[in-house]
Formats: sequence, C-alpha cells, structure tokens
Amino acid sequence: MISKLFSQEPETRVFFATDIHGSETCWRKFLNSGKHYEAKIMILGGDMTGKALVPIVEEAPGRWHATLLENRREFESEDEVKEFEDSVKRRGYYPFRTDPDEMSELESDEDLRNELFYKEMLGTIERWMQMADEKLDGTEIECFVSPGNDDQFEVDEIISSAKRVRLAEGKVVEFGDYQMVSTGWSNRTPWDTYREEDEEDLAARLKKMTGQVTAPPEKTIYNFHCPPYKSGLDDAPEIDENMRPKHGGRSIVPVGSKAVREAIEEGQPALALHGHIHEAKGNTRIGRTLCINPGSSYEQGQLLGAVVNLDGGKKVKRFVLTSG
Amino acid sequence: MASNSTADSGAGDLFQRKATGLLRGWSVLDGFIYASFAINLITLGLYIFSFAPFIPDGSLVYAIILSGLYLVFQAVTYASLIAVMPRAGGDYVWMSRVLGGGIGFVLAVTGWWFILWHWVPIYANILNIEVFVPLATIAGFDGVANFFGAPGGMFTASMVVAILASILISLGMRTYARIQKFCFYGGVIGLVIMLALLLFNSNADFVGAFNSQAQDVYGAGGDAYQRTLDAGSVKGTNLGALAFGPTLLLIPMIVFFNLWSNWGATLYGEVRGASDFRKNIYAMGGALIVTSAVAVIMLLLFAKTFGWDFYYAANNAYWGGNGPLSVWPYPGLFAAFLFDSPILQFILVALLALWFFGWVGSVFLSSTRVVFATAFDRVLPEWVAKTSRNGVPYYALMLMLLPSIPISYLYAYGENFATYTLDATLVIATTFLGSAIAAAVLPWRKPEIYNASPIARYNVLGLPLITVAASMFSIFLVFCLYKWLTDDTYGINNGQSLIYMMILYVVALVLYVGFRLLRRAQGMDLNMVYDEIPED
Repeated sequence: MISKLFSQEPETRVFFATDIHGSETCWRKFLNSGKHYEAKIMILGGDMTGKALVPIVEEAPGRWHATLLENRREFESEDEVKEFEDSVKRRGYYPFRTDPDEMSELESDEDLRNELFYKEMLGTIERWMQMADEKLDGTEIECFVSPGNDDQFEVDEIISSAKRVRLAEGKVVEFGDYQMVSTGWSNRTPWDTYREEDEEDLAARLKKMTGQVTAPPEKTIYNFHCPPYKSGLDDAPEIDENMRPKHGGRSIVPVGSKAVREAIEEGQPALALHGHIHEAKGNTRIGRTLCINPGSSYEQGQLLGAVVNLDGGKKVKRFVLTSG
Repeated sequence: MASNSTADSGAGDLFQRKATGLLRGWSVLDGFIYASFAINLITLGLYIFSFAPFIPDGSLVYAIILSGLYLVFQAVTYASLIAVMPRAGGDYVWMSRVLGGGIGFVLAVTGWWFILWHWVPIYANILNIEVFVPLATIAGFDGVANFFGAPGGMFTASMVVAILASILISLGMRTYARIQKFCFYGGVIGLVIMLALLLFNSNADFVGAFNSQAQDVYGAGGDAYQRTLDAGSVKGTNLGALAFGPTLLLIPMIVFFNLWSNWGATLYGEVRGASDFRKNIYAMGGALIVTSAVAVIMLLLFAKTFGWDFYYAANNAYWGGNGPLSVWPYPGLFAAFLFDSPILQFILVALLALWFFGWVGSVFLSSTRVVFATAFDRVLPEWVAKTSRNGVPYYALMLMLLPSIPISYLYAYGENFATYTLDATLVIATTFLGSAIAAAVLPWRKPEIYNASPIARYNVLGLPLITVAASMFSIFLVFCLYKWLTDDTYGINNGQSLIYMMILYVVALVLYVGFRLLRRAQGMDLNMVYDEIPED
C-alpha cells in the first residue's frame, strides 16, 4: 500500500479543464497542457463558447473605436485594430468590425445580434478544431471535448469533424482500461441556456448514459458539466429577480444538480469531473468518488485545471488543481 | 438564444448573450455594510481608543482622520487585486501566485489561520466588557458581572465566541449574510440613539447621571465623576490641536480598528469592467471613510457630553487599576446612563451589542477559506476541505475551534500567556504587507494577467495605480511594524511574544516543506499548481 502511495508513475495521467468560454488564450494553453503536465489524456469540460461580442466601429475610413472593460480605445492603423482584436479574443469575447449604421441595426434587432453570435461562436470553434488538429498531430495525446449548457448544438457537429479531438457528449469513450461518460446538460438555470432541463429529465438522461458503462467503478469516470448538488463544487452567489448578487455577493447557495449527485452516489465512479460554477473551484468526495471542479478564470487568461493520476485503485488519491 | 445590448451589461459597449453566470452589478451599499462590520467602530474602535491616554499628546481625532484617509491606499490595493484576480481566495492565492507558493502559504497560514486562534480571547474580552458585564450590571446580576470579569468568565466568553463563530459558519454564508445585515441595521439604530443621547444632553446632565448610576449600579459613592478625573488625570490630553509627532504615534495603535476594510473579498459576475473595481473602492474606502467620520463625530460628542478630560481619565484610571469603577469605561454604557429607565439602558446596550454579534463570525470565517484554498492547492491534505452534506466545513472549523480552546484557557488562566499574544495584529499586518508587495510587483510578475484586467489603464506618474497604491500601503505597514517592534508604548515589542510568533511561522514553514516533499514523493510536484502553461 505504501509503495503504491509513493509510486511515481501513474497508470494514466489525465488533465481536465473546463469553461473556457471563448478564451483564445485558454484554448491555446489547453492544447499545450498535455505536454506541459505529461498527461496522455486531455479532457475539456463544457462551455467553450464566449459570452460577448465587442464591436470595433469604423467611424471614418481608417479610424476605428471600440470599448473593452469600459475603456474606450481609438485606432488609426490596421495593426492597432488587430492587436486590439487579439486582446479581445484572449479574454473570451468575440471582436467584430462594423460601422455606425450596422451598429444601430444590431442595437435594435435581437435576431441580427443572435445571427452574429452564431457566426462568431461557430467560426471560432471551427478554427479551434483546426488548431487542435495541427497541434496534436504526431503526438500520442488523446483529447476529449464535450460541450456544456452554454454551447449551442451545432458545436457538436464541428467537434465531430475534427481529426484529433473526440466528441465525448452523450456516449461512453474509452482510453486504456478506463471508460468515461460525458454530458454538458445541466439542471435549470436562470439564463435559459441551450442544454438544461428539469431534474427528472436529467436523471433519466444520466441513467441511460451510465447504464452503458461496462467498466468497474474504479475504472470509470463521469464527466458531467454540472456539479452535484450541495457538494461545495456548486456554490454560487445568490441572485435576486433582477440577476443581481444578493448581499454584495456574500450570500452563497448550492445550485448543482440533484440528479448528478444521485448518479454519482449510485455509480461510485473513481472520478467525477465538473465545471459550470466558475467560483466553486475545489474537490470533494462523494463516497469513494473524487469529484473535482477546477473552476474557471477564462477572462484572466488563466487555465484552471486538474491533473489526476489514475492508478486503478478504489480511490483516486493523487491529483492537483492547477492554475496554468 | 437571447442577447442583451450594452445598456445593462455594466461592461460598456458590447453585446452579451444569455449565458450562465452573467449577472448585473452588485450593490455598493451591501459591500459597504459588510466592510463596515470589519472596521467595527463599536467593538474594535471603542476598545482601542481607550488606550489613547498612553500617548496623551497625540490627537485621537486627527489620528483617525489621517489614518482613515491614508488607508484608502489599502482599499485601492485590495480592489486592484480583486480586479486582476477575482475569485482568487484572498491573500493566500494572490501571494502564492505572484510571490511563490512557500511565501504565500507561510504568510497566509500564519496571518489568517494560526493567529486567529489568538484573536478568540481578544474577541471574548470585547464580548465581556461591552456585552456581558454591562448587560448583567444593568439587569442587577452583579454575580454574573463579577464572573465575567474574572478568568473563569474570560474563558467562558472565549468559548462562547468560538462556538458562536462556528455555528454562524455552519449555518452557511446565506444565513450568515442575513444575520449580519440584521445586526447592521439594529446596530446602526443603537448607534444613532447613542449619538442622539450625547448630542441632546449636556455635560451637567451626564455628570448627574453618571454620579447617580455609579452609586446605584456600582456602589461608587460620592462624586464619582470628579473621583474619576482625579484618579486618571492625564496631562496634555489633546482633542483638536494637531501635535503631529505624537498624533502619528497614535496611528499604529488605532490600526487595530481601521486596518480591516479588506476583510473578505466577494464574488462577482462575469464580463465586468472597471465599474466593479470602482465599486470595490467605494465599498471598502467608503466604509473606511464613513466609519472614520462617525468615529470623529462620536469622539467630539464624548468631549461635549462626557468631557474630554473625563473620557481620557476614565480610560487611564481603568488601565491603571485605580478608578472608582472597576469595570471598563464603556462609552455605550455611559451614554445609556442618560436614560433613567434600566429597561431603556438595557435595550441600548443590547442594540449596540449587535455590532459584536454581526462581527463575531469573522474570527473563523476567513481562516476556513484559507484552509480550503491551501487544501485545494494540495499543500494541506484533502480531508481538511471536507464538508458535511449540508456544506458545513467541519474539519476546517475543527482546525480553528480546537486549538482556540487551550489557547483561550492559557490566555485566561496562564500567568504570561496573554503577553505572547500581543503581536496578534503585527502578524496579520505582516500578511497584508506580503499581499501589498505582491500587488506592487504584479504588473511585472504577471504582465499578461495584469494587462488583461480592467485596471491596466490606471496609471499615476507613469506607474501602474496598483503599484503606487500598494507601495504607499506598504510604507504605512512598515512604519507600523517598525513602531510596534521598537516602541514600548504599544506593549508589543515583547521578546517572548516575538519568539512565540516566530514559532508559528516556523510551524507553517515546516508544514509547507513537509507536504511539498510528500507530494513530490507521491509523484505530484506542487510546482504544477502555480506553473503557467505556455500559450504557443
């Protein structure tokens, strides 16, 4: 037992990160994480797509302005605009060039804004998959991605088309002796996102998925975007009806899924990987299962993650949460 | 999918879609309320002001104003750190990410965990002198009042503090936030009543009330007011004249009260810009300035109604052990004496006691967060971050509660142990100094994170604002540390206390090195926790 505790070489080392929300920096770091942490398996939990569009308005030929973090910037050269676009992408937002007329239309037309969001989000994912194919080509690293509740369904198709990235959503995937089952679906949120449903429906979805696992619990991983209810990995600021944090953000409430918790309690996989609640970085145990939510700091360009050594024992004991 | 235009995003000219975690701005008033509890005028303020007679030439009023204004640099420093690394988990994470894991662990664990064990009896002392003893005295339970004035009462009060703080944390942040808000509004009502009593009564009214109550309640016959003046007379008490040198010397004393505006960073929604940074400054700096202003008004009213010489004499006589009243001269109780009715007196002191009960959880709360943060970094073992099914961090609480029991016992009954704890404020200030240094060098140590933050555009004389504010705050802390370590007036430059505190630092260092070696032996190098992954 002691020799196992101190054994240096894991059977399998996994790197897990999640909720990068369009951050170009985080995606690039993720692609390098396998090599950096000497992990053969890279897993990206859900919510790859960004949340904001940043217009760069051409007010006169060759003169542009834009605002980021309430800081208005003006540009007079293509290089300056490109540099700004890169800084916007690094933060996880989508820059787009426009003119005052189109801006007026966008401000008044929600459908137009949504169309633009789709175009930017899906275009970025396509580009990211190409980057992954190039970066991971010639390596032995396996990369799994499953979209989250904030990602539209078209994202799945784009991931499926990648050569070096495997879509994990809704199915059992294998690496070595291990089996992993993944979903980005969550319980209901106040934001009415793409992949959310009532607890009963989520429970049925999880039961169907976990029923397909044939590996023993110590060789099983649940990669469920939504954390289990009352696990500490699901603590979020309580908000009022106007979506404002109550009590200056100090009032914290559990918002995770009861269905996820039941699935873990029942299946007792060696490892459960979660995200969704960026503030709730941490790890906990539900029975024998090590549950991890590495959190997210995508806006700061920090890739929060977890390095986990899988040894095939009843409990996963060797892991660290990283802030790369 | 639905999207919002810029109007309510709080982030300027951009479009947001509906996505998890996007929140509207938080209330500055709420942030202000919680910061005001940390710079607690009634508990910490009134207690430390009572030591002012030890520097009689200094002006307490000007010392509060000067330090209150200067410590806005602290608010700017911490607001900047929060803006650059939000959801970071406080001093531990900032220092460990910027200065290194070892420095972060040793300074944070000592300043936010070990030293808070020693703050339990300090809180308990305030509970005794501002709550238990005055309430028991007004209610006529002299035996109870005497008990809490003795070592047994001190230990009992310490256990009340430790258990109360544990219960409040066990109830969860949602309930605790509500309790704090209730206590704030109740406490403010008490404070307003107290100030109104002082405003609308004359010195003659007070002298009559004090003499009468001193006789009735404490059995101090004769002209207790004059006897207090005679017993505690302080030469050169200085209310308004600015004797700069002595006034400056008061500042390292009163930071016991006003150094804590940063106590507890909150969580925010995403896609937020500089407005959140400003809000943090308004909340922390606002609490600092408003509390300082109220403190000044209160002291001026003390001067008007109690008489400034009497206020100093009462404190001086108490600490000298020669006053006609054997109890700490609690201004809240003195103000309550202006009511004839014991019921009204009791209600006022009880309302003021809400400042204590809304604040008491802070003795363990931040510590449990530091314990969690270090466990998530795998420095401390995994089990210390375990929670019950209801989210109670029972191991972290035990790590606070259990050591606080023998420490409180030794504090109450030990002959010298109270002396060892004299450096309690010094240790926390050292932790803050670590964070201030981390903030000052952050633009160079973590340029990518800094440049991606909403504060990157703020510069002063070509230097980043965070660097300027943190440097100014560091100067302040170094000044305080120097005075504490070299000047006998503060009662802190005690060799035994310094050795004791050094032992705490060594224990933290041994823990860090030990767990780091253990993790390495297990094949998990803790460098991975802090290492940046290359982008290209």
